[in-house]
Amino acid sequence: MRRRKMAYGLAMAAMLCAAVSCAPDRAPTRAEQFAALPDWSGIWTSDATEIDISGYPAAGMGGMGLKLIGGKAPIKPELQAKMAAQLAAAMAADARRKAEGWGYPLMMEGVAPMQFLVTPEETLILNFYRDIRHVYTDGRQHLPEEDRWPVPWGDSMGHWEGDTLVIDTVSVQLDAIFHTLLLPLTEDAHFIERIRRTGPDHMEVEMRIEDPAVLSAPWVVNFSYHKAKGLDRLIHNVFENDRSVVEGDSLTIAPPKD
Amino acid sequence: MFDAAHTRSLTGTVREFQWTNPHSYIQLVVKNDRGKDEEWSLEMGAPVYLYNQGWRRSTVKAGDRLTVTIAPLRNGDKGGLLLKAVTADGKALGKAAEVPP
Repeated sequence: MRRRKMAYGLAMAAMLCAAVSCAPDRAPTRAEQFAALPDWSGIWTSDATEIDISGYPAAGMGGMGLKLIGGKAPIKPELQAKMAAQLAAAMAADARRKAEGWGYPLMMEGVAPMQFLVTPEETLILNFYRDIRHVYTDGRQHLPEEDRWPVPWGDSMGHWEGDTLVIDTVSVQLDAIFHTLLLPLTEDAHFIERIRRTGPDHMEVEMRIEDPAVLSAPWVVNFSYHKAKGLDRLIHNVFENDRSVVEGDSLTIAPPKD
Repeated sequence: MFDAAHTRSLTGTVREFQWTNPHSYIQLVVKNDRGKDEEWSLEMGAPVYLYNQGWRRSTVKAGDRLTVTIAPLRNGDKGGLLLKAVTADGKALGKAAEVPP
């Protein structure tokens, strides 16, 4: 472990000294470590889906247009009918389900405004549904397979390639209490993301998904974000006034409490 | 839940603006065809989405007159999804540029 940390420290020193002015024979200072990281401050939201005051996209109520639910994945031919039925059932259930968040990978589509906190040791990614991803960039590895367990945000390790954060994620739980149910992948799915800021107000994500049990080939999905123009703070979601109630096969609005 | 194909317009007086999660609501009192008051529950997005569009908790107050466009509930109850709100003096509420952060 000590050897790995030392190797990481030297690698970090070399990388940082390429970015800032310091002598390569010493470890970078804390300030130098932060100075070498990209600025991803602000609140970001999807370029593809801008939510209006109704809570639906301004373009209409015909769905969020989410790529990860869009059915364009290269699903194995022998599984397509099964997956279509599973997706339809999940969509129907979703209309009556009280989701606790979006979970991973759906949270990365950015429909729910999100924030990145970039530090030398980890990048925190969080959104308004209080989904939180810890992406460790200090050189640690995934837990051994026998010690891992699936969780809604997976287990994520990252490293920097210039100004691009490369994230390797495994052990993603596709749990019914999170929207991730809508993505028909297995818990053996492997995700590789490349995230970078492409301009003052834009970021891009390339997500590569490998799941040989379901996909006939790796599935590459791209997202892009812009800075949310009206948000100077993130207002998190809770269920303090949940008036959506089931009535027959659909939902309706419960009367106000007062 | 909501019928987007048959939107309708309502004009009434706000009884309450619920700036709440997971949805916000405007309780709008509207006179029906027989002149009797009826209260409509109008659902909106979570505060984070309203805030991003320039709305604040004080944007709508009890007693305000509003004309709204809604997608009504399919089951015929007095409720719907609020798509647009216009004040009595003709100002459309809802765009970030109109109410700076």
